[in-house]
Amino acid sequence: ELVDKCIGSRIHIVMKSDKEIVGTLLGFDDFVNMVLEDVTEFEITPEGRRITKLDQILLNGNNITMLVPGGEGPEV
Amino acid sequence: FLIRIVKMSLRKQTPSDFLKQIIGRPVVVKLNSGVDYRGVLACLDGYMNIALEQTEEYVNGQLKNKYGDAFIRGNNVLYISTQKRR
Repeated sequence: ELVDKCIGSRIHIVMKSDKEIVGTLLGFDDFVNMVLEDVTEFEITPEGRRITKLDQILLNGNNITMLVPGGEGPEV
Repeated sequence: FLIRIVKMSLRKQTPSDFLKQIIGRPVVVKLNSGVDYRGVLACLDGYMNIALEQTEEYVNGQLKNKYGDAFIRGNNVLYISTQKRR
């Protein structure tokens, strides 16, 4: 239910691999696979934004470590 | 009440609906290894196994060009993204 509250708002997802994804949460499933919109992808070590993707992405829940509602991620 | 109903139906539909919606669209598939594949989604299943057409493989610069079908095992997929513009 906690994640449910985030639907429709900005969420920031930290992956296992020191990568972060920021987007608007459209939905998720029991495996915590997430559908996001207007997504920006951040790589932590190479210090910088990677790709800004439009439309929607389905993010594999297998690699998700942490969810931060309303977060913006590391912005340079 | 209305908001609750909308939220509930959104939650149930989104992943499986998303999968149905994106077939035939140009997508970007990123693997756990960091390799990037761009192509047209031919088909897809619940395990994120993917069949792509006209695929190009990117790691930093452009590596390989594939035409025809490419099959990717869902185990390795980090995300699937639809793209409106490149």
